[in-house]
Amino acid sequence: MSSSPARPTRVGIIANPASGRDIRRLTSRASVFPNAEKASMIVRAIAGLQAAGVHEVLLMPDKGSISPLVYRALDMNGPSTEGQGVRFLDMTVSETIQDTLTATEAMRDAGVTAIIVLGGDGTHRAVSLRSGQIPLLALSTGTNNAFPEMREATVAGLATGLIATGAVPPAAGLRRNKVLQVHCDGRDDIALVDACFTGHEYIGSRAVWDSAVVEELFVTFAAADGIGLSAIAGQLEPVSRTAQHGLHVRCAPVGDTPRRVHAAIAPGLVSEIGVREYSHLVPHEPVLIEGRSGTIALDGEREIEYHSRSRIEVKLDPNGPVTVDVAATLTYAAQHRLMRGYVGDAA
Amino acid sequence: MARKITYQQAINEALDQEMTRDPSVIVMGEDVAGGAGSPGEDDAWGGVLGVTKGLYAKHPGRVMDTPISESGYIGAAVGAACNGLRPVAELMFIDFMGVCFDQIFNQAAKFRYMFGGKAKTPVVIRAMYGAGFRAAAQHSQCLYNMFTHVPGLKVVVPSNPYDAKGLLIQSIRDNDPVIFLEHKALYTMEGDVPAESYIVPFGEAAVVQEGDDVTIVAIGRMVNYAKEAAANLRKKGIQCEIIDPRTTSPLDTDTILESVERTGRLVVVDESSPRCSMASDISGFIAQEAFGALKAPIQMVTAPHVPVPFAASLEDLYIPSPARIEEAVMKVKEYR
Amino acid sequence: MTSPLNREALLQAYRTMRIIRDFEERVHVDFATGEIPGFVHLYAGEEASATGICMHLNRKDYIASTHRGHGHCIAKGVDPVSMMAEIWGKATGTCKGKGGSMHIADLEVGMLGANGIVGGGGPLICGTALASKIRGENNVGVCFFGDGASNQGTIFEAMNLASVWKLPVIFVAENNGYAEATSSNFSVAVDNIADRASAFGMPGVIVDGFDFFAVYEAAGEAIKRAREGHGPTLLEVKLSRYYGHFEGDQQTYRAPGEVQKLRETKDCLMQFAKRVTSRGELSAADIEAIDAEVKAMIDASVVKAKADPLPAPSELMTDVYVSY
Repeated sequence: MSSSPARPTRVGIIANPASGRDIRRLTSRASVFPNAEKASMIVRAIAGLQAAGVHEVLLMPDKGSISPLVYRALDMNGPSTEGQGVRFLDMTVSETIQDTLTATEAMRDAGVTAIIVLGGDGTHRAVSLRSGQIPLLALSTGTNNAFPEMREATVAGLATGLIATGAVPPAAGLRRNKVLQVHCDGRDDIALVDACFTGHEYIGSRAVWDSAVVEELFVTFAAADGIGLSAIAGQLEPVSRTAQHGLHVRCAPVGDTPRRVHAAIAPGLVSEIGVREYSHLVPHEPVLIEGRSGTIALDGEREIEYHSRSRIEVKLDPNGPVTVDVAATLTYAAQHRLMRGYVGDAA
Repeated sequence: MARKITYQQAINEALDQEMTRDPSVIVMGEDVAGGAGSPGEDDAWGGVLGVTKGLYAKHPGRVMDTPISESGYIGAAVGAACNGLRPVAELMFIDFMGVCFDQIFNQAAKFRYMFGGKAKTPVVIRAMYGAGFRAAAQHSQCLYNMFTHVPGLKVVVPSNPYDAKGLLIQSIRDNDPVIFLEHKALYTMEGDVPAESYIVPFGEAAVVQEGDDVTIVAIGRMVNYAKEAAANLRKKGIQCEIIDPRTTSPLDTDTILESVERTGRLVVVDESSPRCSMASDISGFIAQEAFGALKAPIQMVTAPHVPVPFAASLEDLYIPSPARIEEAVMKVKEYR
Repeated sequence: MTSPLNREALLQAYRTMRIIRDFEERVHVDFATGEIPGFVHLYAGEEASATGICMHLNRKDYIASTHRGHGHCIAKGVDPVSMMAEIWGKATGTCKGKGGSMHIADLEVGMLGANGIVGGGGPLICGTALASKIRGENNVGVCFFGDGASNQGTIFEAMNLASVWKLPVIFVAENNGYAEATSSNFSVAVDNIADRASAFGMPGVIVDGFDFFAVYEAAGEAIKRAREGHGPTLLEVKLSRYYGHFEGDQQTYRAPGEVQKLRETKDCLMQFAKRVTSRGELSAADIEAIDAEVKAMIDASVVKAKADPLPAPSELMTDVYVSY
């Protein structure tokens, strides 16, 4: 923490202004996560990062949703000015998922050693498409979140800073995640938590909230106390984030099968799902799906429309993104007395 | 069978009878039940002056308290009228037109003409008006002239309990938007009112009393002041004809014209400020249509062109008085 | 789950969007010649919104529209031929030539009027919904308004009233990014109009207005909720207009190439046609047949509008309650 590295330590922060606004507000009274709170979380995370000795924080700009709240809170003159070790990326804002992809690439090119992500499963999936091996700190602000955690941003910033500066070694504070590789007619995509084959014909309003459309589900992990589609698997057979395998669930109409499970598939919605069978998903072994039509939801959002001639392959990959384990990182810091003495004084 | 009831009771009775007769009639406004969602008794108020008291229990679900949100509920009344209801919306004080006028003059008033005759908007907007309650500048105005100016609106200004009931029933049955104005000083006025339902048609002035010397056209509460003045003048041998237009839109110009052609003298009494008022409008009409019959310049008795003052001494000066009406009559009578 | 669209519904959706587009493109051309009187505000680019929402409605459901109302009228079932005549100010117009572009209404089909007053429709639609609720029917009211109107007190009052009375109303904020020339990023104090819903105790949802299927699905859920008596919803449809605030607006306040890029990459008709043909739900021939049929209808409507008579002078004094 006190050493002066040869090059300054940089950390990126990506906050998705659009998270928490989809149709589930209507269908199941999901929460609205205010952007003012996202901005406050960024400011608090910066406090943690800077206390841990991070020199520069790079932020994704947006069209006036979160950015102005952040630069006003930091007494900066505007998004184009640097102040207090904080800089907004110079990029074109499209107000689409492209912003997240562009910002992740720019942060990678700027040599960040960690990225803090504020969003739901969908936002984290987008960052993971571009972040490679850069450690991520996953903070939940969306609706249907299994991958990121609800955590106080200050503590998250501190842990990220300790990893980014090298004060805590990767082996002590980082965790490797599994990922689902989904290939459909030449398109490659990923899911961090779940890939769900639905009977919805259209991508439409993206979210999946109707259990009757769930036909087949693949999960990388499944917490028994999770929320979202992975909760279906979580109530059949919980799978930890560190287990080797995932789970593959084949659903059926409730009337067609004696095996049923109740699960919280969306905020405000506990549904009964018929289960034909389920089995472990073994790493590297592709599962083929053919001869049907519908949409594939990746981490809770319909992304791919497919038809009966589509050739689809789903595969569990153990080498997914690396995330900061906040508890493990700060426990290591305590054991090695990193936080004693002169926290925040990088000199 | 007629019996004596107040102006306020006459209005309540008209609403009650029309709601009983026609299930599409609803009543909405701020505190018209008075107490929606509050912990105390239901229908605690029946409107701020109790005009709608008792309707809430008699007509469940059709007497609706609204938020203090005049654009919202006046507009909702207009929209409901387009979709088959006959809403009576209470605007409380006519001064509050300032926060919902768009819904009245750009929406309700325009639909029938602007949509090529394909829409009807049978909404009634009730409100109290007029000075005399020490309610000052924002709760005392007359403003019927502003509505009268707008094509597409009908404007009703009853001066007594009988007219109040008959005109309100006509307003509710009318297929056009009606601004129904109740002078707050008249609520306690008693008069003979038949118990049964009846209508007073629009655009038919009442000749309150006949006389050949001077025509007095008076609006709303001023009709009663004109009667006081006329009683004194009769002692001086001057016979006044008093005309109560009852509706300022449509305005019964025929009755006024016929009278002035006979008397040759006109006094117009209007509680609102003088410029672009009913007084100036009726004066202009007579100057144009009966110039040759006039034996004296027309006299307007109005409030001065100032906001309604608060202090009792000033407000009493503000409101046209029977004495000023007498003076005006003497002026036209003695003109040579 | 919103029921899937069958072939007839897909044809209807495309045809409605195509009529709106061709209608507006044609008015754009004819206005430039100076023959069309008054002000016109075109809906081209926003077709998926009106169509995706109105396909869930019947004739007894009302909509309130805006000054940019041609698309809502067409989607709600107003006859485009009589609309064209109205815009040309002819006696055969929807409103006998007395309303014009900003005031087209047809209560027979539940169209409560385009509206020249920004934010004027919110309170009105609460009233149509109230009437339906009091009569025990399950009809709904849809209030279309823009990002400009989203800042009007009437819209706030209407949203509050709709929640207080639990009315079957769907507030549709068509956020096209500009209120006249001023960006909604400047004029709307929160980043999403939908975020205001929570202040009025109703759900607020954002939907991609270039994607018919997204609008159709979200609207279906909101309308179902309203019909079942669960109260109002705010849908924010993010979209863009291809033409200016009014015809003649040079749009120098927009970024160079902004509209061209949207037309090439996101256009709702293009996306729709590509999707349904690539999946084999409709054929290229189906699409071409609609294109040809609609073009002929719009051309004929203009020929007719030009030839139709002007309103008779006596019409000046009719359809009003008091004529002095």
